[in-house]
Amino acid sequence: MEKEEQDRNMHILRTGVLSPVKRWSAKWSLWPCHFVTSCCGVELAHAFASGFDGERLGTLNMGISRQANFIIVEGTITRKMARALRIVWEQMPDPKFVNVIGACGQRGGIFWNSYNITRPSEIVPVDFFIPGCPVTPESLLRGVRAVQDKIALGKDETTIKFKKVALPSEVGPGSTIPTSPKRFAPTPLVKVDIPREVDWAFGSTTVNNLKSQLEGLYKSITITDKNRIAIKTAPDNLMEVARKLSDNMGIDHTKSVNVIDVPHEQKFILEYMASSYSNSDLMPVIITLFTDIERKAEPEFPSITPLWDSADYSEREMHDFFGVKYEGNAGMNAKFLLAPETQTPLRKDFKIAEENYVFDDSPLNPKIDLPSSLEMPAPTDLYDEAEASDEFIILVGPHHTGSGHLRWILRVKGDIIVDVTPDPGYVHRSMEKIAENRLYIQNVPLFERANISDPFNMNLGYVHAIEKALSIEVPERAKYIRTMLAELSRIGAFFYDSGIFSLFTGHSTGFMYVWAIREMILEATVRMTGSRCTPSFIIPGGVRRDISKDVLEMTGNFTSAVNKRLKKFEDIFINNPVFIARTKGVGVVTKQEAIKYGLVGPFLRASGVDYDIRKVEPYEVYDQLNWEVTTGDAGDCLGRYMGRYEEIKQSLSLLKQTVDALKRMPRGDVISEEVLGDYKEASEDIKGHLYHAYGNLVLPKGEWTSVVESARGTLLYSIISDGDSNVPHRVRIVTPCWMNLRGIVEASKGERVADFWTIYGSFGYFPPEADR
Amino acid sequence: MKKVTVQDQGVVEKAKCHAAAIGVAMKESVYPLTATVQYPRQRKKMPDNFRGYILFDPDKCINCWECAFVCPANAIRMKEAPNKKYYPTIDYGKCIFCHFCIDSCTDGALRTTKIHDVAYKDMDEMVTLTEEMIEPPEIVREDTKLVEYLIDDKDLQMKKTREVDNLFVDEVPPSVEIPVVSQCIDGASCIGCHVCEYVCGSGAISSSIANGVMNMAIDTDMCTGCGLCVKECTMQILKLVRK
Amino acid sequence: MQEVINELLETMMSNQVSVPVIQPVIDMAAQIPMMGLGISFILWTPIFALLICPGLSTLGIFLLFFPWIERKLCARIQWRVGPREIVPWLGGLIQLLADTLRFLFQEVIVHKDAHRPYFLQFAFLSFAAALLPLLFINAGDVIAIASPYGIQLLLALVCLFPLFILGLGWASNSRFAFIGSVREAFMYFAYEIPFIIAVLAMVILFGTSNPILIPDKWGIILNPIAAFTFFVGAAMATSRMPFEIPEADQEVAAGPHVEYSGIAFGLIYVMCYEKAYILSTLMVVLFLGGGSGPDIPGLTVHLGDLMGIVWFLLKVIIVMTTMFVLRTIYPRYRLDQGLTIGWGAMIAISLVALAWSIVFVFMQQGGVL
Ligand code: SF4
Ligand code: SF4
Repeated sequence: MEKEEQDRNMHILRTGVLSPVKRWSAKWSLWPCHFVTSCCGVELAHAFASGFDGERLGTLNMGISRQANFIIVEGTITRKMARALRIVWEQMPDPKFVNVIGACGQRGGIFWNSYNITRPSEIVPVDFFIPGCPVTPESLLRGVRAVQDKIALGKDETTIKFKKVALPSEVGPGSTIPTSPKRFAPTPLVKVDIPREVDWAFGSTTVNNLKSQLEGLYKSITITDKNRIAIKTAPDNLMEVARKLSDNMGIDHTKSVNVIDVPHEQKFILEYMASSYSNSDLMPVIITLFTDIERKAEPEFPSITPLWDSADYSEREMHDFFGVKYEGNAGMNAKFLLAPETQTPLRKDFKIAEENYVFDDSPLNPKIDLPSSLEMPAPTDLYDEAEASDEFIILVGPHHTGSGHLRWILRVKGDIIVDVTPDPGYVHRSMEKIAENRLYIQNVPLFERANISDPFNMNLGYVHAIEKALSIEVPERAKYIRTMLAELSRIGAFFYDSGIFSLFTGHSTGFMYVWAIREMILEATVRMTGSRCTPSFIIPGGVRRDISKDVLEMTGNFTSAVNKRLKKFEDIFINNPVFIARTKGVGVVTKQEAIKYGLVGPFLRASGVDYDIRKVEPYEVYDQLNWEVTTGDAGDCLGRYMGRYEEIKQSLSLLKQTVDALKRMPRGDVISEEVLGDYKEASEDIKGHLYHAYGNLVLPKGEWTSVVESARGTLLYSIISDGDSNVPHRVRIVTPCWMNLRGIVEASKGERVADFWTIYGSFGYFPPEADR
Repeated sequence: MKKVTVQDQGVVEKAKCHAAAIGVAMKESVYPLTATVQYPRQRKKMPDNFRGYILFDPDKCINCWECAFVCPANAIRMKEAPNKKYYPTIDYGKCIFCHFCIDSCTDGALRTTKIHDVAYKDMDEMVTLTEEMIEPPEIVREDTKLVEYLIDDKDLQMKKTREVDNLFVDEVPPSVEIPVVSQCIDGASCIGCHVCEYVCGSGAISSSIANGVMNMAIDTDMCTGCGLCVKECTMQILKLVRK
Repeated sequence: MQEVINELLETMMSNQVSVPVIQPVIDMAAQIPMMGLGISFILWTPIFALLICPGLSTLGIFLLFFPWIERKLCARIQWRVGPREIVPWLGGLIQLLADTLRFLFQEVIVHKDAHRPYFLQFAFLSFAAALLPLLFINAGDVIAIASPYGIQLLLALVCLFPLFILGLGWASNSRFAFIGSVREAFMYFAYEIPFIIAVLAMVILFGTSNPILIPDKWGIILNPIAAFTFFVGAAMATSRMPFEIPEADQEVAAGPHVEYSGIAFGLIYVMCYEKAYILSTLMVVLFLGGGSGPDIPGLTVHLGDLMGIVWFLLKVIIVMTTMFVLRTIYPRYRLDQGLTIGWGAMIAISLVALAWSIVFVFMQQGGVL
């Protein structure tokens, strides 16, 4: 099919007397259909923003498939998205061209053994493949040039030529094939309440308090780490314990819902991690409430949503992953994240492909079973139902200029939104499953891919969990570097969201301005780490290498240089009366609602909750720096945005403070010697020793939970280790966007249709991060 | 704690803000702060530590397989060369340019280049064999100018020079050399399979039989610390230690 | 028979566009039998107006290059470069040519839910209908049909546009097209009245609605409020930011246009520029003194009627650019806000403008001014 299709497109251009005109015009007028499918979209946006300006080449990004003639597939195509890709391609008029950017779209990249991705080349005919993760804007434009050359000159060639050199041939001692470095314990000991001795006075009083309150309801209460308490109950008592916690102690939200599969013991461990916003003493404490249930096809368990509504979407997610039915949760009869045909993939007996370390003749592109039909059925019953009540259904996405990579089903009455149903999972790349099959160190770049607009914070959270488990103290300099990077990434993420927000309100200049600022941030990042968006720079025990003085200088300069451009952005966008009219008083989330729906980060603070992990449970050097938490009361779109803007001003000052401190500090260790073991000399630069030092990292058994304040809010990693395997038994990631999804839905109800996009934009939603 | 409240704009304020917005547009249409690198004709200067395509030097490779083991995307697979050793091949259809492989390569056999802008017409071509990774490849280039982003404390400056950037960086030796050697930690468990002796490329391991007991000896001077024997040891009783 | 022809010739010759500078050439060409006739036919004012300026040719050139000006200028404001690589040394001047040709050769898809005949017809009809108002507009002294009700006729024709857009949306039979056209209809009602009142104010002020008789005065100075209302109304009528509500890309995916492809879309795409062109010409005539301009010694004499045209086009370009650059400055209003502005503030302001004109005229007649 593929070859024929491609030939047909070229055939159209190459026949007829007007062929030269056709080819010339098609060459200079390749309008990419804005098909954002994954994180590579970030670099696509950079390629078309002021930094590289793809419009120079005549490629004007066009949101609508009917008018475009070029698809740039941006990375991962999941099983759900495959349908959309096919439909969009079919909607486009001939002749049309397809480029695939990003390793994910080729042979899977870091997600090569994910259960949820497909290969675009099997869905649509592809003209060029562009490697990278993400691709750089330059290589994206190189792809455009390649298509142009193909159209105009018929030159269909790879743009790199390798020279072959003969390999040494005199036969030496030879070498054998070593066995896989991964080690799985056959019968792992999975326990989430391994006690740990910590210096935490408040903990013991809390535990005593809990014990007296929950008399007879619990099985055990353990301190698993500082600020972490695990309560084990019988399945029937869990609800009662939760109610007691909520009534007596002010535990008012869940941070995570988790299921752990222990096949050889025939049980599931069901977990809720809960904490409090109303009781400031308990703010840093995470209480893990867990119970064992029998492992069967569809175990049932009462849903906790009547008490803690914030668990809603996560319960649905666990239902997808493990088949646990939470009775009382409205979403239990359909899949939420996954494609309908996928079976409970996170159970341990669902196997994914194993690494192959030897170059043999196993097929390069193993067969992927595509979804049986590439049609996307219209939800007819929904239409009928809406029609009956004089309502109208609008399907926004997954291919829509203002949808991001998910589908929203808006139910409107007149111009008022009655209900919003999210349909996420179009970028669900099964990180949690993949992570169970990789070495600890290999998961550093993996988790970063959840959100490449905020990469350092994504790294930091995961690395923290490991460091907590191993009780590693990070060298001072590395702490400062990490803080600097985290703030840089927070600033970058804010500008990312501002850009998307301005686009959603129709303001392309705002987008271009902040994207130009982002270009500066990425320049600093690339000089520090060598990569623009995916640095994988923070590793357990420190950072990969020290940062040179002139790059520090440049980063310091950035904090003042940004002001000039920021002022213009402020004048043209933030203070623009039209923008204010669009956002003020729109999509209000009150403090109670914010807590109830489990909002996190700046969006929670905008509703008046004073909760910032950097203050509540300080990590790195945040407690030594001079800054303030920002909150607001309005809880509307403008409030959320301005709150974050204020926060970024603080971040700029934090950045300045850390850079200054680093400049004063003598060069020294940036990796903790504890983690390096025998390779202590690598503590200034890991080069040459990464695998030696980290390849066989094993965490002590137990559950290790870390929370960090990422750009968009609380990011929680919870690693369960059996203390024996050098891969995690289970990793649970709860990303801020996943929690904020609920906020968008609730804030939109009762607003006008056009406001949906303002609300969506104000929440800084990054779908790959939510879907993981 | 800092509370952010947004005041309503009054009429005068609104008029001012409208004027400011229009003012920015007018100013920028005359003196724009253009930040564009006009890619095919200009090229942005990347730092030397840029993570791009990877080159390989077989002479330095000690066959430790660590690059393949650490690669998170399983992009590196080892291919048997005529000399019966295994050397890496990289599948750029999977590689995510994390350079964990380079950072794991003890002897600097892998190194980076500044190549990153490549388009393949076919997915199968993306598998780069060892033979192809030794010499610097050639890419299609149209650039005549080099643009460097500089940030001073006022603004972003774009330094443009009329030169064609060299995309190949000189090899940087690993900044820290840690001499390590192999050591037997539990001689009593040795079953005498001789695997370590066979795999050792530098002949540092020898065996002798005395009183019917097999003794393996490791010559610490000859041992390069490649770790192969450690990996192969049947009983897993070898360990790398500092010299 | 002969008489009829003679009479026709008479009328033709009596109403020629005079361009002194090329007069010798014309005279020379007049010697050649058919050629002379042809040239005088083209220079016959109504035909000249229709075919050359402000009619088809000018419009064609505008459509081909104006989007380029817009894209370049917006790109500049946005710290970018804009279309360029197609001819780097001309700054990508012919970008739109490539786009147009590409649309011409692209497949036109009529999806199966569409109302096929209307789906195609409306695309072409709307393009054609947008041309009609050109008959009643004057560039300097050149006009196709001079009518004492010129301005009213023009307004009537301008108000036809939304109908065609509704038609497009209806024939597309798609959800977004539907919402888009409903939005268009709402906006139409909102801007229509203040827009008409603003024009009315000027007609009262000038005391005539024959565009050719409108004195060469700058209406924007005589009645700035009317000018403002008109400009905002025009921005609403052409769906410019901040009133790009019916076509909001991020919300309703270009609304009525969402299903169109190939040359059908090409026509719709240029139609929006056509609309803008027509409204800008009207703005120039009513508020910016039409084809008047400072006397450039030497040039005016030689160019004759052409001078008026040059001034006229210059002003049109400025108005249009301003209108299009709005998109770099403003986000978009919500539908209800657009309506509130139309029905509230705009009507109020337009009434003030009307009152202003009436007072002005009274004062003028009373000899105060
Ligand atoms: S992980 Fe993201 S950035 Fe990397 S290739 Fe895939 S889509 Fe692109
Ligand atoms: S750069 Fe990373 S992904 Fe690429 S081959 Fe090396 S380790 Fe593998």
